[in-house]
Amino acid sequence: MEYTIKYKAVNTYESTVDEAFWQFLLRPEENKTQHVRISKFTNSLNTGIETSTNTFGFPICRVHPKKPFDTISFEASYIMSKEVINPFSALDSVANPEHYALIKSLNFKIDYERFLSITPLTQLEKTQLPVKFSEERSIFDNLTELNEWVYKTFTFKTSVTDVKTTPVQFLEKGAGVCQDFTHLFLAIARLNNIPARYTSGYLHQGNGFQGDSQMHAWAECYIPEKGWLGFDPANNLIALENHIKVAHGQDYGDCAPIKGIIYSNSAANKTSYTVEVNARAESDPDVFSENQLFEPLPFKQQLAFQSQWQNQQYQQQQQLRQQLDNNENTAL
Amino acid sequence: MATTQQSIFASYDKDPKFYDEIFDEKGNVKKVYQTLFDLYSGHSSQDFAKLNDKAKASFFNQGITFQVYTDQEAKEKIFPFDLFPRIIDQKEWDTIERGVLQRSKALNHFIWDIYHDKKIIKQGIVPLDLITSSANYLHQMIGVDPPGGIYNHISGTDLIKHSDGKYYVLEDNIRCPSGVSYVICNRTALKRALFGVFNHYNAHTVTDYAQNLLEIMESVKPRGVDEPNCVVITPGVYNSAYYEHSYLAKSMGVELVEGRDLFVENDFVYMQTIKGPERVDVIYRRIDDAFLDPLEFRPDSALGVPGLFSAYKKGNVCLVNAPGTGFADDKAVYTYMPEIIKYYLGEEPILNNVHTYHCSRPDELKYVLENVDKLVIKPVDEAGGYGISIGNRLTQEEIEKVKKTIQASPRKYIAQPIMSLSVHATYIEESESFESRHVDLRTFCLQGADKDFVLKGGLTRVALKKGNLIVNSSQGGGSKDTWVLKK
Amino acid sequence: MLARVANNLFWMGRYIERAEHVARYLNVNYFSSLDAPNEKSQSRDHVLHSLLFMANGPVEEGYELTEKNAFYDIGLNPEESFSVLNCIKYARENANGARDLISTELYESINKFYHFVLNYDADFFVSKGLFDFTTQIAESTSIIRAKIRGTLLHDEVYAIIMLGVNIERATQIVRIIQAKYYDALKAQGGYDKKFSKSYEWTTLLKCIEAYDMMRRHYKKTPTSLSTLEFLILNPECPRSVMNSLVQVKNHINVLNEDKYPEKDSAAFLIGKTHAEYRYKTVDTIEGNIEHFIEEIQDTLIDIANKIEKEYFKY
Repeated sequence: MEYTIKYKAVNTYESTVDEAFWQFLLRPEENKTQHVRISKFTNSLNTGIETSTNTFGFPICRVHPKKPFDTISFEASYIMSKEVINPFSALDSVANPEHYALIKSLNFKIDYERFLSITPLTQLEKTQLPVKFSEERSIFDNLTELNEWVYKTFTFKTSVTDVKTTPVQFLEKGAGVCQDFTHLFLAIARLNNIPARYTSGYLHQGNGFQGDSQMHAWAECYIPEKGWLGFDPANNLIALENHIKVAHGQDYGDCAPIKGIIYSNSAANKTSYTVEVNARAESDPDVFSENQLFEPLPFKQQLAFQSQWQNQQYQQQQQLRQQLDNNENTAL
Repeated sequence: MATTQQSIFASYDKDPKFYDEIFDEKGNVKKVYQTLFDLYSGHSSQDFAKLNDKAKASFFNQGITFQVYTDQEAKEKIFPFDLFPRIIDQKEWDTIERGVLQRSKALNHFIWDIYHDKKIIKQGIVPLDLITSSANYLHQMIGVDPPGGIYNHISGTDLIKHSDGKYYVLEDNIRCPSGVSYVICNRTALKRALFGVFNHYNAHTVTDYAQNLLEIMESVKPRGVDEPNCVVITPGVYNSAYYEHSYLAKSMGVELVEGRDLFVENDFVYMQTIKGPERVDVIYRRIDDAFLDPLEFRPDSALGVPGLFSAYKKGNVCLVNAPGTGFADDKAVYTYMPEIIKYYLGEEPILNNVHTYHCSRPDELKYVLENVDKLVIKPVDEAGGYGISIGNRLTQEEIEKVKKTIQASPRKYIAQPIMSLSVHATYIEESESFESRHVDLRTFCLQGADKDFVLKGGLTRVALKKGNLIVNSSQGGGSKDTWVLKK
Repeated sequence: MLARVANNLFWMGRYIERAEHVARYLNVNYFSSLDAPNEKSQSRDHVLHSLLFMANGPVEEGYELTEKNAFYDIGLNPEESFSVLNCIKYARENANGARDLISTELYESINKFYHFVLNYDADFFVSKGLFDFTTQIAESTSIIRAKIRGTLLHDEVYAIIMLGVNIERATQIVRIIQAKYYDALKAQGGYDKKFSKSYEWTTLLKCIEAYDMMRRHYKKTPTSLSTLEFLILNPECPRSVMNSLVQVKNHINVLNEDKYPEKDSAAFLIGKTHAEYRYKTVDTIEGNIEHFIEEIQDTLIDIANKIEKEYFKY
């Protein structure tokens, strides 16, 4: 399979931004089944792009404009290939006591500690567990059932949750977006000793899956002998060739596609994001079509991570500076 | 002579329950203090009142102050300085020095292990959830190799002397241990006030700390850098320890920067100077982990530098101390220190640990709940002496309250037998005389890629309120100049 | 040196200098008015207006013009950003930000100075302490100036502080000239018949501590022409605009290594202004004092802005 992926973000600010930093985590991962052939990342201010890697080794881009601005847009485009995966390779319905013994062993817990630990976004008390795993069934079957349970129990709905919503809040609300589905899934899997990681990526939604026009999220779990396998609780799917992975981490915080720090006097801004994933024939020319229109959709959840550079100290400094300025103006 | 001696030590309370640093069991002055005692007895109480005022004014005028915030205004206060120095002889010091260095090294091995193979957990010596449940354990540090392999470049170990006359370690501070500037200021102040007494003793200098700190910082420079550019980063002029930050930068001759002075480009760190950007190689950071880099840790941090952590991970800049050391000076980890030292160094601990009961262990929790009145209850992750309950000072009602708090979250509390801090002669303004007060000792230990250093001296903190055991400056403590004698 | 710290040093210098001029103007102008030879110059309203004008610009309508109010606002009012108290407070805050770069001695003298002003009894000040307070300010600032000169390496740190000091000095001198120019205009008539021979010119010279120097130089009673020539154009008078410009020029050269500074740079503008004033004669100024004052004020603001933009951006 070949895909063309386009990501576009437009940020407009009410008052001029003096300085800002952005960090992007958008590039599809290079792995056994994925390969990016062509990639392009641009911004409307033509600011130089820095590259680095995040904590988990995934490539990130950074943008740090040197001049004040009111509006900036970013555009990332990728042409990539993805292997079609045999879905039956993942299936494993034989309950194996050795697997359960393994995941309970100390060494296993230490080796996979990073994806067994509870983070604030995946916090759930053992006593609150809404689904019980059974050692009579295989780990895979337990996870499949969990996937289905989450899918059936919760409603996919935007604007009821945000990037700080915890599984407990999601349980109360009964509705949310793919992050919430995924965080709850992770919380339950981890409490059952199954290493589970938050995965971000693109969903090829030719068939109208949930998660339209934004980046998608699902969970990857480690199954003994099989390795890491993706479960998409928002769609009740196993992640196969339609799931294009970008990165993984402990929770959303490690995988946010965009993180920004804005130095400005006013917090007011408007941000819109669009994502387009299109299947393409391998014989298509390697160009990104320019005539596609992007309907900007507001994606409020991500705004929360665009934090203000305005804690008390900075304000104090600003005030002091203002006093100095005033003083100068009046004294001269 | 005899009469003046009486007057300035008249209200000195000799309580056999505590180890007295100055007087022996029979009430005689100990040999090492005899000369000092004789010299001091030659001064009248008016002399000391005057000297005390002068010393206070000198601290105040130099701006060696910290801010105390009340309802309306910020007030500047000095950290009270005491005129009677503490003296530690060479032999006693030798044990302390070897002991704190041993702990500092063991902790460094421990942190490396935890962020790499976690062997000590696999061996069953330290429980896994002791580490992973700590808020200061940073998964971002997993697999990171800090320059020179050093995490806790600077350690501050707190010691007390119990009624049995032995030193015990109270805690190891390996995040941003503070107080070293006071050690140096105290020395300067005492020299000015009572220069005559120094001629009679041969004490080690404390002013070599800054030079050693700079050498330690230079020893952990990033690869490929010949002459590293070192800086100190501070949260800013409003921080209560700002004096110390500026003192350290100044005495090392390096820049004192704030987060907004620095920026990261292509994983290198630069500071904005009047002649444009200049690369920065080693940063002694006096801001907490959570505020270092808003892209990696707290996104609302205005104190840090976006991208700093990835520059650190790439090895292009060294942070002193490394991020994520905080889990290892947790009070719960403290209780495993004897095992940690044995495991990594194959040595017996040189300094004693106070016996500790873990409320997370059911049988020990039971003992604690039954014996609250005989114990000190401490929260595992609070600094500055907050949240501590001393059992024998509590009313029955308060004991019940403490019990409930512990039961609600046992993991958060440990308990220790009530240690009796030794007492020392301390000038008390109200009575214009020397009285006995409880003291502890903070030591400062440096660890670099190819050298280490223990400051020969330390901060003797004194609880100025009579009978008080808590010596922190935020809780009304003062400090003494501390002399380590040469042979 | 860090750009932010350079900014702190620059403003530390400016605020120390500003405090001194405001305090001295308060002192000299007030006390010399008490026995001024004409009624207008002796008038309370006249002198209080002049004091407030120099410290903060034209007096707002509805301001209750009493001695106590004016003294308090100019000297110790923590709410007024132009008060001497706040000048010293800002000077100290800026010193705090650059504490690792300045000498312990300098910091200590600024710190002591701040606590002295902070703890000065406001009631005593407005009723009896005017002379004592303003004299102490003048003395403390000269101690601080001596510490700047004597306890700092004469390198970039020193150059930046002195840039601030001299730009502020030129600014304050122009400001005092402006205030006294208006006083002289208002005092016309009566004993003080002629503007050019106004008593206010003597007061002006005293306010800038230049009266004795002036007498030695001209050996005549000051007139408008000779006073302006002396205070603006004489490079040997340490309190003249010209002298300040010379110093600003020397200090910017420590920071600026270009032999031929760029056209829009601070160093270029300073050099250009200096050259212009070197060949200015007093008759071109006297005809249009108001215009001249506006022009030099604008130039000084421009220079300060350029310095901030070039060296202090962080």
